[in-house]
Amino acid sequence: MSISIHTSISAAVYENENVPQRDERRKALLGVRGLRKRFHEHHRERLLFDIDRIEIATHGAYVLTGANGAGKSTLLRVLAGLERAEIDSLRFACEDVLRVHPYPRAMREAIVYVHQHPILFSTSVAHNVGYGLAMRRVPKDEIARCVAEAMDWAGVTHLEGTDPSKLSGGERQRVALARAKVLKPRLLLLDEPTANLDGQAREQVIALIPTLVEAGSSVVIACHDRDLIGLPGIQRMKLRDGRIEYR
Amino acid sequence: MDLPMLDATLHAFAMLVSGDGALWYIVWVSLKTSLVGLLLAAPPAVLLGYIIAMYRFRGRRIAIWLAQAALSLPTVLIGLLLYLLLSRRGPLGDLQWLFSQPGIVFGQCVVALPVLLAFTLAAVQGLDPRYAETAVALGASRWQVMLRVLHEARFGVMAAVLSGFGRVISEVGCALMVGGNIEGQTRTITTAIALETSKGDFAQGIALGIVLVTLALLMNGALMMLQGDAHAARERG
Repeated sequence: MSISIHTSISAAVYENENVPQRDERRKALLGVRGLRKRFHEHHRERLLFDIDRIEIATHGAYVLTGANGAGKSTLLRVLAGLERAEIDSLRFACEDVLRVHPYPRAMREAIVYVHQHPILFSTSVAHNVGYGLAMRRVPKDEIARCVAEAMDWAGVTHLEGTDPSKLSGGERQRVALARAKVLKPRLLLLDEPTANLDGQAREQVIALIPTLVEAGSSVVIACHDRDLIGLPGIQRMKLRDGRIEYR
Repeated sequence: MDLPMLDATLHAFAMLVSGDGALWYIVWVSLKTSLVGLLLAAPPAVLLGYIIAMYRFRGRRIAIWLAQAALSLPTVLIGLLLYLLLSRRGPLGDLQWLFSQPGIVFGQCVVALPVLLAFTLAAVQGLDPRYAETAVALGASRWQVMLRVLHEARFGVMAAVLSGFGRVISEVGCALMVGGNIEGQTRTITTAIALETSKGDFAQGIALGIVLVTLALLMNGALMMLQGDAHAARERG
């Protein structure tokens, strides 16, 4: 099935900008040098990946591809600070990060990771979307405003008071994206957001991705989805044999 | 025809219905010491259960082994250990808690702790780890993550509390050794049943037994309702 994405990421972001603004946007948001992840299985050590360098530009949009088991999800989880790995050096927003396990709070708040099968807490959909803001002690009326805006963006306003366990896969994914977007993250890590979705649910999720970049986030998407890989303005990273290939 | 058991049972019901002061005071002491002991044990036990379930640290497996082994410790042995601690020459003798209600509360705390800890540990370990990860990924602090995880595991945690209550209200060894079974002061349902039965006065023992069975039925009913809610929630999910 073909899909039509009307928003071009590069066009939306760079159009009508002067050169200094454009240079500012192209600065590296996240720079990692020497990233290694080892596993211990059956008393043997296995090196999952050994990556020299990762650069995520401000306002950049990337897809991370690779075979199943290549370590895409693990890499995203490492970048999200959810999983430990050996890191030689890490810069975030032009500052060296000296303590990476765990990330400093400001950095944790700037990076949001969305699971392949998002978990929604057993409260209402609206409470789920506002959860991160509540954790940041944002005033309640401000939370209500931002939640309404994000739910409208994701097309889930009608689900506001619904029990999350009654949502379909596509609805869950869109609620999870709204929950991430409402935090205005500087870096958004999406793990296979269209996996197990088909038809309209998949198209709706794909259509939301470019607007996330427009809203100011850098986005890295681990996926196999050809339509996501083919989004205009998106850069490709391939994880193969434990190394990153840029395309 | 002589039916001593029937007579005793009828007498027991009569005592319950007539509001026998001594009998209901025993029930009150039991409920008070059990609930206070449980309330004091619950926060540290739930916290410890959560920490052991969520964090990887050296000695974690030993902690789990000890918590589970403590479940099968006879309460009379716990009573003996507390007796030695609280006796006049013991390290906690200055508290003068032996043969007093605070002593029973302390004992109930120790009896409830392993149950609460082990059940909370199981409830949190059984929860999908993505709940905690999602909270972290959305910027929650460690305390906020803990509150979220315990909320998501609330059916298991409530089952832990109910099971803990069942254990303390029905135990006899610790309450007998630490409380001393003093009439009007430290006599509890279970110690009174043991005493009255040994004296051949079955009526009060049966009356207290009926109270205990009623409490057990109420507790298990609540537990079943919780489990029903948890199953329903899982099925919806």
